Amino acid sequence: MPLAELTTDTVGRVVVARLDGEIDMSNAGEIGDALNRHVVNDSLGLVVDLTEVVYLDSAAIQVIFELREGLRTRGQLIRLVVVPGSAAADTLRVAGVPAAIGVDETVAAAMRKISA
Amino acid sequence: MDAHVPDDALSQPGEGQVFLGTRGLPSAHPHAEQLLHMYRLSDPALSDLPLEALLDELLQRTKATLDVDTVAVLLIDENERELVARAAKGLEEEVERGVRIPIGGGFAGRIAAERVPIFIADVNHAEIMNPILREKGVRSLLGAPLIVDGRAVGVLHVGTLTPRTFTNDDAAILQLAAARAAPAIERARLFEALEREHRGAVALQRSLLPDRLPDIAGIDVAARYLPARDEVGGDWYDVIELPRGSVGLAIGDVAGHGVRAAALMGQLRTGLRAYALDGYEPGETLKRLDHLLQTIRGRGMATAAYAVFSPETGAVRMANAGHPPPVLISASGEASLMAATTAPPLGTLPYPTYVDVETSLQPGETLLMYTDGLVERRGEPLTAGLERLRAAASVSASADALCQRVVQTLVPGFAAADDVALVALRSEAIEATMQLQLPADPRVLAQVRQVLRRWLRAHGALPEDIAAITLACGEACANAIEHAYTPSRATFEIEAAHRAGTVTVAVRDRGRWRRPRGAHRGRGLMMIEATIDELDVRATATGTEVFMLRRLGS
Repeated sequence: MPLAELTTDTVGRVVVARLDGEIDMSNAGEIGDALNRHVVNDSLGLVVDLTEVVYLDSAAIQVIFELREGLRTRGQLIRLVVVPGSAAADTLRVAGVPAAIGVDETVAAAMRKISA
Repeated sequence: MDAHVPDDALSQPGEGQVFLGTRGLPSAHPHAEQLLHMYRLSDPALSDLPLEALLDELLQRTKATLDVDTVAVLLIDENERELVARAAKGLEEEVERGVRIPIGGGFAGRIAAERVPIFIADVNHAEIMNPILREKGVRSLLGAPLIVDGRAVGVLHVGTLTPRTFTNDDAAILQLAAARAAPAIERARLFEALEREHRGAVALQRSLLPDRLPDIAGIDVAARYLPARDEVGGDWYDVIELPRGSVGLAIGDVAGHGVRAAALMGQLRTGLRAYALDGYEPGETLKRLDHLLQTIRGRGMATAAYAVFSPETGAVRMANAGHPPPVLISASGEASLMAATTAPPLGTLPYPTYVDVETSLQPGETLLMYTDGLVERRGEPLTAGLERLRAAASVSASADALCQRVVQTLVPGFAAADDVALVALRSEAIEATMQLQLPADPRVLAQVRQVLRRWLRAHGALPEDIAAITLACGEACANAIEHAYTPSRATFEIEAAHRAGTVTVAVRDRGRWRRPRGAHRGRGLMMIEATIDELDVRATATGTEVFMLRRLGS
């Protein structure tokens, strides 16, 4: 049983990646690789939906920062979606993620901000 | 008599010798001697021998009776339409080299095709396909078909190294031997084929059951499968690791026996596992399995029960399709049967409904599922068997010990008329302190979280406490794993304790503490500091200890 499931969808020119499960140092690297593969050159950006993620640690956050760097060199954006007050939201806050990467409450809001 | 021991008198008949059981017959008289030989060839004990011993004995006796130098049996290989040398005396190479003769060709091939005895006075002037006969210097041959129900199943032939004119009497004796042996050979061959099929079916059955149960932190699982005495059956069990740390426990029983039941069992086990992994609730899983069964050609019916257990909360959801009621065993060893189901077995009624029943399995408690072969005895009401099971399923050292005792008590000698499957899951007891010794491998992190959450919940921690301590412990463990010097063998240790509303977690490794390097590791340490009340990183005699403390509800 994989620790986390990944499903991706392309809406217009935005890639929406939905993660479900737990992300730690055992699977963060391969999830980061998979996300990188799904973002093609003409994509505007990537929305990572963490709504169904019940656990993530510093390895996951490291991968998110690395993704942001990679996308930025190609002129692409990344936004995260979390439920306010959830364990994932708390972890992102503790790690200082919201100061560096845009965090939204819904996928629709994140897509609007990338397409704007 | 012991038919395995060749009778010396028969093997080497001497002048004027009187044979056992034939006292009073004038042995010097040639007809009388032939009669004795014929008597030995029609010995009913031959029928009881396994095929190899039967052929050996038959050849021995034929060789002696007809006073020949060689004797051989070839059997028809039904797939190849060929005769295959199966046993021989004086012509052992024929068997060793696996001589094959096409039916209809050569000496033996013609006997099989025409189903008549054939005599060859001089091998040098005859059409002989088998080179070994010439190599061995065989000069004269006499052969007779082995016939069962008018059908040739093989050939029995004898030969001499000096020219010999076989008589009609010789041919009659050989035909008698062949007629006597043919049904026994055929019976032994069928029996061997059945045995092969049975062994194949048992191997198939085994291959369709889990070869190894998953090792899941916080729970203890064990299972047994006992094949029926005579036939394989369609019982199965399964333990399925589900998303978010839940565990699926399944048991089932396909009606009927034999390879077909075992094969259908394999399909149903895979089907149930697939629906379970897709995250369906137990009732929905069984409904879909019923639907799947309806689409299988020559379908049968099956009973099954499927339960999903959450180690973190102890919640159990279960659905049952006509399967015997599972047993719940309390921490103190009292066993009780769950309510019997009224839902139909899979594959019996259109549009069945399988309802999810909720129960709980608290630390120390065990859930036991089994098939009816465990409790059913001929001529005895089912309630008696269930009562025996209830009495046998009491407090045990482990899930495995429980399975062992239940099987020993209810299936003495481990041989049941029906096949038996059972699977037990125990929620491990929770102590005041918890110690884990783990390999330095990132894959253990998920198990650590699961077992820690379960332990924290049992100690009254709130969801925020659980999330905070799990994250801090996870970061400390990741650090220990990353700094392990010898990745293959290194281990680390976790010790968690709860005292008066304060939880402490110590993570110890055997490496020297290294300053966190880079933003990533620094972030991990920062995250620990942000989620707990006290952090201390200490160098110990053997390595490094990360000590963390959090006051619950803070």
